Amino acid sequence: MHLDIMATLKGDRWFTMGAIVTGFMVFIALVGPYLVPYNPQEMSFQPFARPSWEHPLGVNDGGQDILSELVHALRNSLGFGAMVGGLALVVAVGVGLAAAWYDGLVGRVLMSCAVILMAIPSVMILILVAALFQPSAWVLALVLAGLSWPTTAKAVRAQALALRNALHVRAAVQMGGSAMYVIARHLVPEMFPLYLVGFVAKARMAVFMEASLAFLGLFDPGRKSLGGMIHCALRYYYMDTWWNWLFPAVLCLSVSIMAAGFLAISLERVLDPRLRSLWG
Amino acid sequence: MRLGRERKALGNVANFLVALSVLVYLSYALPRLMPGDFVTAMFASSHVTLSAEQESREKAYFQREEGFALYLLRLVRLDWGWSYALFQPVSSLILQALPWTLILAGGAHVVASVCGFVMGVEAAWRRGSRVDKALVGSMTMLEGIQEMAVGVVLLAIFALHLHWFPTGGAQTPHAESSLVHRLVDMAHHLALPMATLVISYLPGNFLLARNSMVMVLGEEFILTARAKGLPEKRVRYAHAARNALLPVLTRFGLRLAFMVTGVVVVETIFSYPGLGTLLFNAIRSRDLPLIQGVVLFSSAAVLAVNMALEFVYTRIDPRTCHAP
Repeated sequence: MHLDIMATLKGDRWFTMGAIVTGFMVFIALVGPYLVPYNPQEMSFQPFARPSWEHPLGVNDGGQDILSELVHALRNSLGFGAMVGGLALVVAVGVGLAAAWYDGLVGRVLMSCAVILMAIPSVMILILVAALFQPSAWVLALVLAGLSWPTTAKAVRAQALALRNALHVRAAVQMGGSAMYVIARHLVPEMFPLYLVGFVAKARMAVFMEASLAFLGLFDPGRKSLGGMIHCALRYYYMDTWWNWLFPAVLCLSVSIMAAGFLAISLERVLDPRLRSLWG
Repeated sequence: MRLGRERKALGNVANFLVALSVLVYLSYALPRLMPGDFVTAMFASSHVTLSAEQESREKAYFQREEGFALYLLRLVRLDWGWSYALFQPVSSLILQALPWTLILAGGAHVVASVCGFVMGVEAAWRRGSRVDKALVGSMTMLEGIQEMAVGVVLLAIFALHLHWFPTGGAQTPHAESSLVHRLVDMAHHLALPMATLVISYLPGNFLLARNSMVMVLGEEFILTARAKGLPEKRVRYAHAARNALLPVLTRFGLRLAFMVTGVVVVETIFSYPGLGTLLFNAIRSRDLPLIQGVVLFSSAAVLAVNMALEFVYTRIDPRTCHAP
């Protein structure tokens, strides 16, 4: 089943495009900080210097090299997304499996929690927490992950419910496999493609959210992030710096989110045969 | 059957009410979890120095232990405290900003939903044609660009370089002119932020409408309608599109929570005097009562819309009450 999916994915144009661009962005985020010549916090250059050989994208209002700033910002933003995606996925898989295996009171309570959380606009809670406690980005990532698991958990539960009645799972239970054993050995690996979809969708949403929150000034101002850069650059929109300061940040953000969107769409399409017939 | 419909809607409404209580409780409990006391936290890092008498008075005011019931009562009576930075009651600030947000976000929603739905229906009808492929491709690309990017680009091109539209605000201040002029002026200011929101909402609506329309077009009753010799327009809209409407509406409720973020960002970019800008300025000046008020108010509004939608679904599609 998994091999099949990989083959279908490889033939999908959106997936190839998304994977190449995402890979490129992740590569820059991982390796870039070692390649750029300056520390993004170093404030010793002439503010608002035009782009030159020393500073390919110029210098910002605080005398920091914009290229270094951009690369570090990209790393922070993508890191935030990956962290939220990973955490939300772990919670979602745990809750979804528990709700499917102990289908009954436990399952019903867990799913009611999911429905209630889905109704709450998570950005509002994040704004409240960020404004009151001024926590680090990691704490906000935790909060966001804690608010965004329900959609994936519902999908995991639905599939696990179907799997629970599959012959091989019933056989494993019949032969005395404990709940933990059957879940870990049979259910968890079987749903692998679902995790990819969940992770990509959540990470994309988190990058989006981080940019908005940073734009609103809810993160530590010293922490470089794409939304924060746009926020700062927009304050000097009347100067001629918009194409070397504002535009690169906007471009990085849009391209990352767009590429993740391509991945999410093609994964969903490949995994849900009902959707596959809709396209093309 | 009637009973089933009502019970289902009531069950969903109960979920939203629980969500609302959780939010209200969080807004009550979170500020109390803050380390240290509120007055020190607010004034220690500011330029204002309090005299000993002022400090003790402020502390007495902010540390009086207020039960949850009293807090609820205050909320219901619209007594949401005073803004530190603007020295006005929070509720009146919110009510002043609300109409602008409603015009901007509501207008953008209506335009984006209607256009997206019609485009989706037409594209699905011409499925596989060049128009359909071009629309799906471009909309999928557009979906990845968020409000922030669209807003910044529109601002740079149309306001700063071409000078076609103003860069911010909702109307020209201190201008005394006739009603018609004022309306034109407001529309002129509204154009860019509204266009930004429409561009970012449209792709989602289009893709959803197209997909649900494609599903409906495969059904047998469409074949019957055609076989009866009905005019094409009637099959397309009265038979097919009518049934494609429900998924679009259901997803609308779910997406609403995310759209709030977009409105806040767009209002900030164009300094439009709605709730988003109010929130942004409150965050910048660490105006906690105002932040709390706006957050609570907008979450409640999102939940209320979702709740109202529950009743609309069953009206639009009687099948939903038979769903498990």
